[in-house]
Amino acid sequence: MNVTCKDRDRIFEDGTAAEWIALEGHAETCASCGEELRSWKSLSLAAAALRDHAESPALWPRIHQALTEQADAIQARRWSWRSLIGNLPLSWQAAAATAFVAVLMISAGWLLRPNKPPVQQGSLLKSKGLTEVEHAESAYVQAIDKLAAGAKPQLDNPATPLMANYREKLLVLDSAIDDLRAQAGQNPSNAHLRYELLAMYQEKQRTLEEILEEKR
Amino acid sequence: MGIMGLALAWETRIPSVAQRERRVEPFRGQIAAPDAAEAGRAEDTALAAACRSGDLRAYERLYSLHGARMKNLARNILGSPTDAEDAVQETFLKVQRGIASFRGQSSFVTWTFRILVNTCYDARRSRLRKKEVAADDEQQRDDAAPRPEPHAAVAHPSLRMALERALAKLTRHQRDVFLLYEVEGFRHAEISSMLEISEAASKNTLFQAKKNLRQMLEPPRGSYAAGAR
Repeated sequence: MNVTCKDRDRIFEDGTAAEWIALEGHAETCASCGEELRSWKSLSLAAAALRDHAESPALWPRIHQALTEQADAIQARRWSWRSLIGNLPLSWQAAAATAFVAVLMISAGWLLRPNKPPVQQGSLLKSKGLTEVEHAESAYVQAIDKLAAGAKPQLDNPATPLMANYREKLLVLDSAIDDLRAQAGQNPSNAHLRYELLAMYQEKQRTLEEILEEKR
Repeated sequence: MGIMGLALAWETRIPSVAQRERRVEPFRGQIAAPDAAEAGRAEDTALAAACRSGDLRAYERLYSLHGARMKNLARNILGSPTDAEDAVQETFLKVQRGIASFRGQSSFVTWTFRILVNTCYDARRSRLRKKEVAADDEQQRDDAAPRPEPHAAVAHPSLRMALERALAKLTRHQRDVFLLYEVEGFRHAEISSMLEISEAASKNTLFQAKKNLRQMLEPPRGSYAAGAR
């Protein structure tokens, strides 16, 4: 197998055993690759300095004690339920089961009741509230834009697949935000749309923060 | 840039580097011997089942197999042996609490290390928050007090200290992948499962981490000439 200097980084990143052998061969006649290879390997050797697998004799007894206490606590919780139900006479147990089924059926009936037209008074924003929401939203969007400006260099030239994924995610979020803003523009008093928009902004904020965290 | 360019005199700190490096194989084989892999999987499954049944001896076995590695990883993330021991203990408690929800999508050991890494970062965050509060208090008391330069104490750092300092400047993912692969000896398939990233991303992240570390450990240009004078 023939490798050249151009293959070096790719092999460093994801080379097969055969490619590594070929690179070693090439490095014997190429001073630059020889240096690079030597330096690359010495990092792996140096990593050993961070390896300290010495025994900690006091640690296991401490963990064992904590595990025992936690196991006892879990067991006690289980027993308290079991003993509560198990100590009841059979007739009471049957009555409790009947009551439980009845509650279940009433709940199901409530959930499956025919839908009346929704009363939207609560979810329609009144004009004063609407102005406040729009002010807050505009301030929030400006703050997110500042975050986006900080993350822009990384997003424009994503150095890792993770960064490329972040960029894709932000594109999807921006598109969803545009859609929601268009809908909110047609129906500005709809609080539900505002909540959805807020959730999208929050997701965008979180994503940008993660990107900036990666940067650090 | 080569080894001569690194800030540390690697050869003097790792005496046998010149001899050993010929034997270093950066490629870590993906395929273990089938029998050994099968035995490993069986042990992992048995260990998970025993832990699920509440058998504390299974936890002891988990500790004897991986405790030292867990503590070392935690110490490298947290920078303190005491915090590392706390993180390992907390991980065991979380494993005990969450074992019922372990469905075996990954290996039990991988799952345990994932919990450990998350526990370490939770601890780091809470420590940072405490530091911020303490720093605020201190600043109010004494704004004018001189503080030592962060790098002043490590003008001639040991290899370990230099690496720790450089690692601290990497991104979280780069640091995790470097520690898990180069220090703890996990394979990319295992790391991808622990960190919930793809195998390709794990390889790429390690590549970036090593590139950055090399850059950080390289001395400023002309320092040899300055040293010679």
